[in-house]
Amino acid sequence: MVLMIDTTVEHIGKQIAEELLHSGADPAGFELIDTVGMNISHCAGCNYCWLKTPGICVIKDDYAPILQKMSKADQVWLISDTHFGFVSYQTKNILDRVMPLVTMYLNFKDGQMRHVMRYDHQPDFGIIYTGDGDQAYLERWCGRVALNFGSSSLGVFPAENGKEAVSCML
Amino acid sequence: MHVVIINGSPRVQKYSNTEKIIDSFAKGLSEKGASFERHAISDRKSWETIRDAYIKNEEILIAIPLYVECIPGLLLEFLETLPKKNEHTRISFLLQSGFAEGCQLRCGEEFLTKLPEYLGVRYGGCLVKGDNFGIRLFNEEKQEQLTKPYQAMGELFAEGDGFFREEAKKFTGPEYFSLPVRLIMQFAFKTLAKKMFQKVAASWGCTVPLDKKIWETESG
Repeated sequence: MVLMIDTTVEHIGKQIAEELLHSGADPAGFELIDTVGMNISHCAGCNYCWLKTPGICVIKDDYAPILQKMSKADQVWLISDTHFGFVSYQTKNILDRVMPLVTMYLNFKDGQMRHVMRYDHQPDFGIIYTGDGDQAYLERWCGRVALNFGSSSLGVFPAENGKEAVSCML
Repeated sequence: MHVVIINGSPRVQKYSNTEKIIDSFAKGLSEKGASFERHAISDRKSWETIRDAYIKNEEILIAIPLYVECIPGLLLEFLETLPKKNEHTRISFLLQSGFAEGCQLRCGEEFLTKLPEYLGVRYGGCLVKGDNFGIRLFNEEKQEQLTKPYQAMGELFAEGDGFFREEAKKFTGPEYFSLPVRLIMQFAFKTLAKKMFQKVAASWGCTVPLDKKIWETESG
């Protein structure tokens, strides 16, 4: 399953989904979540999802179903506007709140400390962005995000090159 | 020197590790005769006041907990509301994390080295150190002991060179742990640390295993 999470003001995800269908993708094989208008809080760093209600975020808003879909997806694509060359705060909030997918327990993996994951399956991560994104930095960040999950980066693509991203989804 | 210190953590101040680190750092500033004022972005109602302080002052320090390899979403949102300033303003960063090794914070640090240019201001360096997750779990006395090293960094900062001095760079500690250290720590993770986390969880009212699976995943 390919999951696209679109936080862009211009709903870029719609175009990507259309492109995917044109390329012959099975409509049952992907899902687009457009978060504009949804109520998604930032992570408040309470640590409850590790130490009080393991695996469950105490913030009750529209995020929980997104998290569950991320956990089960093979690919998660963050479709984001950019500020300071980086993803928007809306996209960062979505990533900051993945903490229920990891546990409090620690481990060393490839020479670095990592959290022990809560579930066996981990998604790969990719980014499609609008605006003046810092391509090299976004690649580094996406790679580090994937490293924390023990998965892979799918790559980072400006929205103009959406077709290239789509080819990675098929 | 008058420093505007902004706690960039979204966590409520009472439980903020970053807040405890600032306590110690600020002691160091006072020790060397620098004055400071403190703010925290966790309460949105204070954003107007913080913005004002940012606009009116030229020595800014943002203390930040690492959130998913970069700065927290809430801090990004706050930064988007700041007006552009010029090179007379210097912005420095104190980046801290739970993971202990320096290598864990470098991706976040890179973002912070580039951020001042977007804001139009001068970069004053970034103090990088991990291994701070546990601060909130201890009593006041132990908290002071854990954050004590930051006092010397406050003293250093008051001398005016931001975080560019060798002492600030060394403050990070090891970039990676050596294999023997990793083996010892790995053993501790599976025994002592695990028990300690379970104990903390129980004291917070948790009654289920910390690695409980909430929903079943399809095999992947």
